[in-house]
Amino acid sequence: MLGAERLPLLSLSPEQASILYDIRLPRVFLAACVGASLAVAGAGLQSLLRNPLAEPYLLGVSNGAALGTLLAFWMFSMFEFARPIMAFAGAGLATIAVYRMAKSRAGMNVERLVLSGVIVTTFLSSVIVMLTTLLDAAKLRSFTFWLLGDLSQATSGGVYLSFGAAIVATVLIASQARALNLMMIGERDAADFGVEVSRVRFIVFGGASLAVGASVAASGSVGYVGLIVPHVIRMIVGSDNRLVVPFSAIAGAIFVVLADTIARTTIAPRELPVGAITALIGAPLFIWLLRKN
Amino acid sequence: MKLKFGIIVLCLFLVGCSNSKPTISPLTVTPEKRAFTDDLGRTVSVPTEIKRIVSLAPSATEMVYAVGAGDRLVGVTTFCNYPEQALEVAKVGDTMTPNMETIVALKPDVVLVSTASQIENFTKTLEQNGIAVYVMNPTHTADVLKSIKSIGDILGTVASANRVADELERRQAAIRSALGGMPESGPMQFDDGRIRLFVQISREPLFTIGKGSFLSQVVAAAGGISVTADVPTAYPKISKETALSLRPNAIILSDSEDNREPNEVFANSPAVKNGRVLRVNADILSRPGPRLIDAMEQIARFLHPDKFR
Repeated sequence: MLGAERLPLLSLSPEQASILYDIRLPRVFLAACVGASLAVAGAGLQSLLRNPLAEPYLLGVSNGAALGTLLAFWMFSMFEFARPIMAFAGAGLATIAVYRMAKSRAGMNVERLVLSGVIVTTFLSSVIVMLTTLLDAAKLRSFTFWLLGDLSQATSGGVYLSFGAAIVATVLIASQARALNLMMIGERDAADFGVEVSRVRFIVFGGASLAVGASVAASGSVGYVGLIVPHVIRMIVGSDNRLVVPFSAIAGAIFVVLADTIARTTIAPRELPVGAITALIGAPLFIWLLRKN
Repeated sequence: MKLKFGIIVLCLFLVGCSNSKPTISPLTVTPEKRAFTDDLGRTVSVPTEIKRIVSLAPSATEMVYAVGAGDRLVGVTTFCNYPEQALEVAKVGDTMTPNMETIVALKPDVVLVSTASQIENFTKTLEQNGIAVYVMNPTHTADVLKSIKSIGDILGTVASANRVADELERRQAAIRSALGGMPESGPMQFDDGRIRLFVQISREPLFTIGKGSFLSQVVAAAGGISVTADVPTAYPKISKETALSLRPNAIILSDSEDNREPNEVFANSPAVKNGRVLRVNADILSRPGPRLIDAMEQIARFLHPDKFR
């Protein structure tokens, strides 16, 4: 376990123990929870919407959660629990908005979905920019840093919450894996096989919103995890969601833990925002994947 | 066709607007000017008699009032809240995004800029409109005194500027003599009297002061030594692991709503255990202006109460 401070393997002083148990381990654990949540949300949304580009960040779900958190930050800063609740609400509303816009009488096509995601994302970004301009300078600094993804604010409460959300979301989405496999062929075909399409949709959207809301409330917007991880996993294990969902959770956790290790150590004792690292790794990797296929 | 015509009309209109401005300046009588070198090393030609001043930094506003030229300020930023009279002056936007049109419309003889405001990009626009821009970049308390004297020189209030600078210098000398020759630079020697302190700019995420901040020097002149003085950049986000292991003996908080208490990582530090925590008004602490000596005095008295009886 690397970190800004070098720690011996055995016989820690009380202070070193405090660094390890109060700061480093909660942060590593939070990174794992956030990574798992985002990757599972990405895997679920991609299968449900039959769209390889469906990702919490691109669909505006992350921005919905970010706006919810910002409002909680602004209006209910005295209640710590307001942040995750508002983030979940924001993520849910953004998901519903994108879905409603993308769905037409003829069904849903790829272009409409991506376009709706872009519209919701940019609209929510401008609302966020407007609000941060109105906030005073001291609050602004912590918020803009947080927008880029920042795991340094790992509190034990936040860690438990993210852990709970990651587990629940993974179980929810994994429970629909068989139905999602059928829906990848087409919603109508799936319905013929006895899949309750609207129920699956509700559970997957709910699970993804929970996962994204909890991770955004704890660590801001960490991009590319939900996009890149399920794609890599599908290249390895194939497209059976019964494998893709759990393996995405594990790989997402590993990816964000590694990215955060880079963020914590490269310019120590200073720190980089983890969202910048995941994007820096994720974007070229995604281009490489696109060219390979 | 209609659209094309509309675009042409629009273009002509825009061109007409941008052309109309520069034609004004050659017509006005060129007043007598003097040349000054600002803190960026630029030669700035400023009218001899300055009647209208715009300040784009709270520290510059405080300096203008300190040298007794506050009644000539015609524009300040929304951050300029000291002295109280500054609140009555017209606002030209905040330090980061001042409104160029408002500034030009105010017809100032000089615009005072601090590099902290990152306004160098705009100097070109202002200078094209015949407005002198004087840039200040104080990185040390000595620079603050120098800036006060230059402002006095530019604004024609040399005597009062010198009086203010001398008074601030006297107060700094008083701190120095009270501390009795404590070193103001270099690494900590065994028991040289200096106190290891952490300056907390923001509690969450944890921001502090680094090598590039003038506050590292203010702290040093007040009988302290910043435990993050060697960290690159001026206001770094610091690793909590490092912050915990630094174990400061005192903590200074830049006082704001979110920064009233030390971060939890300091719970077991000597500073928190012994209650050695000081809140300093964020405006006083963050502005390289005349009140920086106030901050220095507060910190020195807090660190060495026995030496100021």
